Amino acid sequence: MSEIEDTAQQEQRADKSYRSMAQTSRAEKTEEESQFVTFMIGGETYGVAVLKVQEIIGMTQITHVPNTMVFMKGVINLRGSVVPVVDMRIKFGMEERSYDAFTVIIIVEVRERMIGMIVDSVSDVIGIPVKSIQDTPHFSARIETDFISGIGQVEDKLVIILDVDRILSSEEMSEMDRERS
Amino acid sequence: MEDAGIREVFYKESREILDNLEADILMLEEMSDPDVVNRLFRYFHTLKGSSGIAGYKNVYEFTHKIESVLDRVRSGGIEVNRELVDLLLGSLDWVREAIAGDDVASGEAKQALIAKTNVLMGTVEPASEPVSNAGAGGEPAREIEVGYRYFRVHAGFRDDVFESGIDPLLIMEDLAALGKFVDRRVDRSKLPLLTDMDPEKCYLSWDLVLKTKQPPNKVDEVFLFVKDDNDILIEDITAMYTSETPVQDHSEEKKLGEILTSKGILTEQELTDVLSSLEKNKKLGALIVEKGYATDKDLQFALNEQEKIKKRVETSTVRVDTEKLDGLLNLLGEIVIGQSAINRIADELDEEKGFQLKNALYGLDRVTREFQEQIMSIRMIPVGPSFEQFRRFVRDSSQALGKDIRLEIEGGETELDKTVIEKIGDPLKHMIRNAIDHGIEPPGERESAGKERMGRIMLRAYHQEGNVFVEVADDGGGVNFRRLREKAEAMGILKQGDEVNEQRLLSILFMPGFSTAEKVGELSGRGVGMDVVKTNIESLRGSVEIDSHPGKGTTFRVKLPLTLAIIEGMLVRVGGSIYIIPLLSIVESMQPRREDIRTVKEKGEVVQVRGEYVTLVRLYDLFGIKPEFSNPWESLMVIVESGMSRVGIMIDELLGQQQIVIKSLENYISRSRALSGAAILGDGRVALIIDVHGLVEELSK
Repeated sequence: MSEIEDTAQQEQRADKSYRSMAQTSRAEKTEEESQFVTFMIGGETYGVAVLKVQEIIGMTQITHVPNTMVFMKGVINLRGSVVPVVDMRIKFGMEERSYDAFTVIIIVEVRERMIGMIVDSVSDVIGIPVKSIQDTPHFSARIETDFISGIGQVEDKLVIILDVDRILSSEEMSEMDRERS
Repeated sequence: MEDAGIREVFYKESREILDNLEADILMLEEMSDPDVVNRLFRYFHTLKGSSGIAGYKNVYEFTHKIESVLDRVRSGGIEVNRELVDLLLGSLDWVREAIAGDDVASGEAKQALIAKTNVLMGTVEPASEPVSNAGAGGEPAREIEVGYRYFRVHAGFRDDVFESGIDPLLIMEDLAALGKFVDRRVDRSKLPLLTDMDPEKCYLSWDLVLKTKQPPNKVDEVFLFVKDDNDILIEDITAMYTSETPVQDHSEEKKLGEILTSKGILTEQELTDVLSSLEKNKKLGALIVEKGYATDKDLQFALNEQEKIKKRVETSTVRVDTEKLDGLLNLLGEIVIGQSAINRIADELDEEKGFQLKNALYGLDRVTREFQEQIMSIRMIPVGPSFEQFRRFVRDSSQALGKDIRLEIEGGETELDKTVIEKIGDPLKHMIRNAIDHGIEPPGERESAGKERMGRIMLRAYHQEGNVFVEVADDGGGVNFRRLREKAEAMGILKQGDEVNEQRLLSILFMPGFSTAEKVGELSGRGVGMDVVKTNIESLRGSVEIDSHPGKGTTFRVKLPLTLAIIEGMLVRVGGSIYIIPLLSIVESMQPRREDIRTVKEKGEVVQVRGEYVTLVRLYDLFGIKPEFSNPWESLMVIVESGMSRVGIMIDELLGQQQIVIKSLENYISRSRALSGAAILGDGRVALIIDVHGLVEELSK
């Protein structure tokens, strides 16, 4: 039940943000900007290009899949499609946390396949001027930065922009293709 | 762009024709049947016509030549012999290549074929037309103008069409601008007397045949604003104009009276007379005879004709993209899932309401099952055509080996899922190649063994117990068990003195890298293949076994599921997870006794079941989940079979069987070979389907 309410809330939220998005885009037509869905993981704000996001759903039952990558939590039923979900906390090397009412799955399209990203909570859709998006700074070698395409600044907030096409590296995808085929 | 569309259609159509042609040419070789010659003639004729439309001028010209040869064959001027068959097969190959766009490479081949045709034609009538340079202009037959299309247009306008501001005259002018009218008829029957005529009404309708280079949508566009509420019919009748023999209009069922008049048995006058005096509940035929307009025999003839036309109408087909069918099947799967969800809710309702709902669901369930069967049947196609293609293969490869082999086909009408048929082609070819190369002995050897010189390979398909079986049987020498054993020992698969039965020995043939052939043949014998055959068939959830009798021959028996999309599955629970085991692989389920469980070196845990040892699989270990029971004697064990091996899968609970719509699992999601896909259960949960074959393989690693 609570899942349904959650989803409804999120839809409302998304609805609102679409409206605000429309307003901002009208107001700032002069400046070229991109739209991002932002969400929280471990206290940081992340964003993915709005066009890559298929939908946002509440936490649902995940079926465990054996013999897979650690961050692959399993598969879910998305209206009849079997969609894999990735826990972004594990992917980013953060400690795991139990899922709560705010946990959502963001369904994104990656190379024509759908993948769900489990994130702590979803925030808003915001426009970030292209100018204020900077290239990825070099972090320490320990942290994977492949899937970070840049860092955007909105007012005083930093948004880490993810390149969803790289959530699963091509090696990860093709290596498995090879092994099974 | 439009041209590409025409070519695409032509390409598909011609492929079908070419396959039919191949089968018929080979049939011609076996017996010279005038029906077959006629059919061949028609196929080439159709090819000629449609290649002309699609703009394949070289194919058009070439098929025309072949057509002339066949015409001569038809009239008995040319004898049916191997030379002719070779020529026809060669031409077929050339046309196939030319259509595939390979015209540069095949220029020489074409010249050679044309030369052969000329020889054939020349041997009969040396003084006839100079065929050798027919392409240059000596074409006596009516040449169709490449690229033109013919449309029959019926334009009947509403009488108040002017009120909507449309002038039929302008539309007709637009239409005329597209091309040329080759036939036109104006229907003035509705025209009243001048005194009664309302000048603001349209009384005329037109029947036209338009010859144009424009695509159909251009013709459609002319009528864009009127076609919805006026009587506009546009029909592409290009085929009728490009064939030399007029094609009968078989698009609609003809009335008996029309047939009688068109055959000249009845005059129009007589027909109207009969029709006007026709009473209720009386048959038209009877009345005609009664009035003495036709004899019983005439009538029978007309009725037969009517039946023929009806048949042609009934078997009309639609080409549908298989993706659309898959889509339908997916949707149906969703319905089934929804239904079982409702079923669960019905369980929770109070008795009366629940009962009513269940009853209603029961009816719905019947319909969906039938629906499912219908959709499945659309996907099912007879195996015959794909079997036929092997005739050529057997002919060519046996000739190359100096063997005389006949391919016999049985059960070509057996239907199988299209995907299965597509994927079974290569394995079958491999088994047939094996039979040709190793199975059937050279003619001399056969004779000294007291057999017919000509070897036989049987390709047989049949239904049994919800499966389709395909057999490749030869009447050759059979597997040499002694050699097989020696080889197996040499390769270290068997130890000397090991007691093994024939079945076990034969299964060695499917091991990678194994071959009993003494020398590597041109066709097979390199030791790769049979294992690939086995893997391919198993990937279709089928199985293959061999049966061989020395001196009598070998039979490969392939067992295939009817369809790939739906399986009957057993739902089992391990801890909090639900898995599906295909029912077909389940042998039995039982609770093992503590004293029957042993640990064997190199084999792990085994359970003794009626004197046989079955490897125990702790599924929870393999999948890394928490089970309810970790002691085998507390849990249940489902014994499954894959090929020759049996394993017992430990589970906590059997939940019952169900029809499962298989959803594929993207490869990258799991590395495990023990999974073949996923399914969505009635409560919306995803359950993984266990691939028994893969599981056994994963264990043996």
